[in-house]
Amino acid sequence: MFGIAPTRESQVTVEKQWTAFEAEAMPHATSIFRIALWLTRDQTEAEDLVQETLTEALASFHRFVRGTNCRAWLVSIMYHRHSKRRKATTRLHLVSDAEERIAETIAFEAPTPQNVTDEEVLGALERLPPAFQEVVILADVEEMSYKEIAAAIDVPMGTVMSRISRGRRLLRGELASYARAHGFGQSGQRRISRVSEESVRES
Amino acid sequence: MQCREFRDIADSYLGNELIVETNHEVISHLEHCSECRCELAARRELRSQLREAFIKAPENQMSEEFGQRLSARLHEQAFGRSVTPLSRRGWHPSVTLRRTSWLALAACLVLATGFGLVLVRQRMLERSSQQGRQDLAGREPTPSYPAQLNPGIPVSIVKTELARDAAGDHRDCAVHFRLAEKPIDLEVAGRKYDPVYVNLTKAVLSEQGDVPLGAEFVEAHSCVFEGRRFAHIILRYHGQLVSFLVTEMGDSKEAKTNAAPLTNQQAQVIACSQLDGYQVSCFQTARHAVFIVSDLPEGDNLALARALAPSVFAHITRVESAA
Repeated sequence: MFGIAPTRESQVTVEKQWTAFEAEAMPHATSIFRIALWLTRDQTEAEDLVQETLTEALASFHRFVRGTNCRAWLVSIMYHRHSKRRKATTRLHLVSDAEERIAETIAFEAPTPQNVTDEEVLGALERLPPAFQEVVILADVEEMSYKEIAAAIDVPMGTVMSRISRGRRLLRGELASYARAHGFGQSGQRRISRVSEESVRES
Repeated sequence: MQCREFRDIADSYLGNELIVETNHEVISHLEHCSECRCELAARRELRSQLREAFIKAPENQMSEEFGQRLSARLHEQAFGRSVTPLSRRGWHPSVTLRRTSWLALAACLVLATGFGLVLVRQRMLERSSQQGRQDLAGREPTPSYPAQLNPGIPVSIVKTELARDAAGDHRDCAVHFRLAEKPIDLEVAGRKYDPVYVNLTKAVLSEQGDVPLGAEFVEAHSCVFEGRRFAHIILRYHGQLVSFLVTEMGDSKEAKTNAAPLTNQQAQVIACSQLDGYQVSCFQTARHAVFIVSDLPEGDNLALARALAPSVFAHITRVESAA
């Protein structure tokens, strides 16, 4: 880093550093690629973003605190890189305030529908406002904690918690509307409920 | 617990985010409410289905070819070898960068010709930004150090915007490395901006290259946070990153406040506070402020500050009096 000529000792250090990076960070490449793809909505740009993220992570790996969540650390770097790229291309950032007000207006919560296909679940996720999609993906798909999400996307933890709660509620609402529209309403719900109850007893 | 309350917190229950007492209430409610048991099972199932569907979606898969290229590229970077293009597109700077490269070239030409103007403008912006931060200097930090450990602390720079900048630099540089401006080598910065930075690393490390108290040296550089330049030495102590920051007080409010020469007693005082969730310990010389910022408990942060203070104080005062 400071222009020191490579010695056997420094070579050993580099090898150790690479081995640690390979073991800690590289297994998360597929996971951060998924998030990159969601952020950019473009395969090539997602690859660029993952490349930039891991390059930066490798250069800064000595700063990574062992024993903490490496994936959350990588996601945090990626969000920063993405934010810089977005600023560079002067795209407008979606304002979440209106979205959150919309979510606040959901008063009634229908029971969670079941027997929905993967496509329907992903379709419902796609229809959520981006700010809610983002936290639902990070929490429920990538299984990051509230604290890790707050650090990664740089918003207060209280905001993360309320977005996750509203996002999940919106997702269930989307699926419930779909279920009603396609005719598997109450009777279907009762049928599914019996199945669920059995699975609860089994567990 | 009512069913409605349960539905409000069912997701947090599934995510293990509830406190023990509330968890017990949920379990006891579930024991006698079959509808809520079904709702919980449905939510668990939905979450699992969402995860599976998202992870397995064909469009979300990273290609094997890209994975191999990525691994090879990073391996080459780690060992400092030249990069071999491996892909169908070759290894390349980002798409955004390629798209805008001609614009960047044009911008460089404009910058080269108008450099003087930019400098003047930047100075003006920095001045107004500093003024803005003075106006917005939010809540008062809590001078948190018990008197028995540091009797008679004059809470001076630890309560100021300088300390806030130091905490901000620790957060944005050491922890999140998201500064707008790339850090530069500390010795280079010493020759260019502030002679105190030259050999500062040696003042922090012992002759054997160790950091006091068994802390570990991570890196040293000079970086800029919100217009303020710092010498930034990053250490690791008890598994946590610690920022050791030195900045010249210059024309700041703090410098004016401390215009009178420091007495020996004042100079040896280390003040502590908590700012933006970080522990900040600081001391000062005639023209410089020194901060130790970390996530460590107060005692550990102060102990490290105390261990580093004598040699650093001697180094800075020596350079200041020679100037």
